[in-house]
Amino acid sequence: MARFDRATLPPTVLLCTVMAGCGSESASDTTAASGPEPAVIDERQANFEKIGDSFKAIRGQLEGGNPDFAAIENAATQMNAAAIATKEQFPEGTSVDDGWDTEALTTIWEKPDEFTEANQALLDASAQMITLAQNGDAEAVGGQVGAVGSSCKGCHDNFRLETD
Amino acid sequence: MSGERPALAPGHSVRVWDIPVRLTHWSFALLVPALWWSAENSQWVLHKRFGIALLGLLVFRLLWGLFGTKTAKFTSFVRGPKAVFEYLRGKSGGAVEKIGHSPLGALSVLALLAAMAVQVGTGLFAGDPYDGATGPLNSLVGVLTADALTDWHEWFVYVVLGLAAFHLSAIAFYLIVKQNDLVSPMLSGSKLVRGSVEANEPTPLVRFVAVAAIAASFTVWIANGAPPLS
Repeated sequence: MARFDRATLPPTVLLCTVMAGCGSESASDTTAASGPEPAVIDERQANFEKIGDSFKAIRGQLEGGNPDFAAIENAATQMNAAAIATKEQFPEGTSVDDGWDTEALTTIWEKPDEFTEANQALLDASAQMITLAQNGDAEAVGGQVGAVGSSCKGCHDNFRLETD
Repeated sequence: MSGERPALAPGHSVRVWDIPVRLTHWSFALLVPALWWSAENSQWVLHKRFGIALLGLLVFRLLWGLFGTKTAKFTSFVRGPKAVFEYLRGKSGGAVEKIGHSPLGALSVLALLAAMAVQVGTGLFAGDPYDGATGPLNSLVGVLTADALTDWHEWFVYVVLGLAAFHLSAIAFYLIVKQNDLVSPMLSGSKLVRGSVEANEPTPLVRFVAVAAIAASFTVWIANGAPPLS
């Protein structure tokens, strides 16, 4: 290999800059809020994950062509329980505007009645899903997927930060 | 490292990397961090746009690996394990200077391209229509498949970032330990050599435009959810 005295400094600087840039990437999660993040934010995010996973489990059952209604009922029951749990998971001061890593909009606290209503829509839709699964009617369960999906969307549209 | 070489004319510049190779390379270098940042910050509109851009560049680079210039072609730089092993033992260079990817660098190129392809491929199907952004092909697969691919997309990014970090370390190693600047040729397209070396072809512009048009058409089709043709 030939060696040249060609300027090796600029590339070195470039490389270091690139590496430094990569290093600082992880610092982007910093928030403007002071103090530790309220634990309830992680809890409610895990709870919404549970709702999402239950919904996926139900839709997955319907895709197979041979749905396991006990599994659907079980998933709908978990969804319903998680929907109840959300009622206690939105204390004041935990919005995205408070500087936390969350998508909870301040409208949750500005329009509490509408938020409760949106939550009730999920409670009703999941309760109805339990009943339909118990009846073992695939078509009815499939139709109810739309109702559950609308209740998700209804709340996301008004109370969750739009990121897509 | 043969220092005893007959006195030759001072180093002269030879063409190494064509324009498309350099453009795709630096676009990858910008897009991968941009994709990571956009995902970490839930900027899904941007994330999808960057992802589609990366898809187009990857498709282009793979085609250019078939139809591009000599140093861009897979057949010219992908070597067997024997060549890689000999390169590692420092045997392959000999007195003849070479341009283009080394047998070891070729593996790095393949690994990086393959990892980005896996990441883009899973991203196309990722997401859940009831919960935020989805890739353009999400509706072509079932909800559980999409969920599994989303999980893949979420952890496989660390493979991509790990390979990128390894790639940067290798460049630093070549620069500092081997005194071989790999960055400047990737910027300028040419490198200084002393011996007689067969230079790379100039960028064939018509072929460049044609391959780019094919890659762009394919990418637009995918971005629109791969609708049935005709």
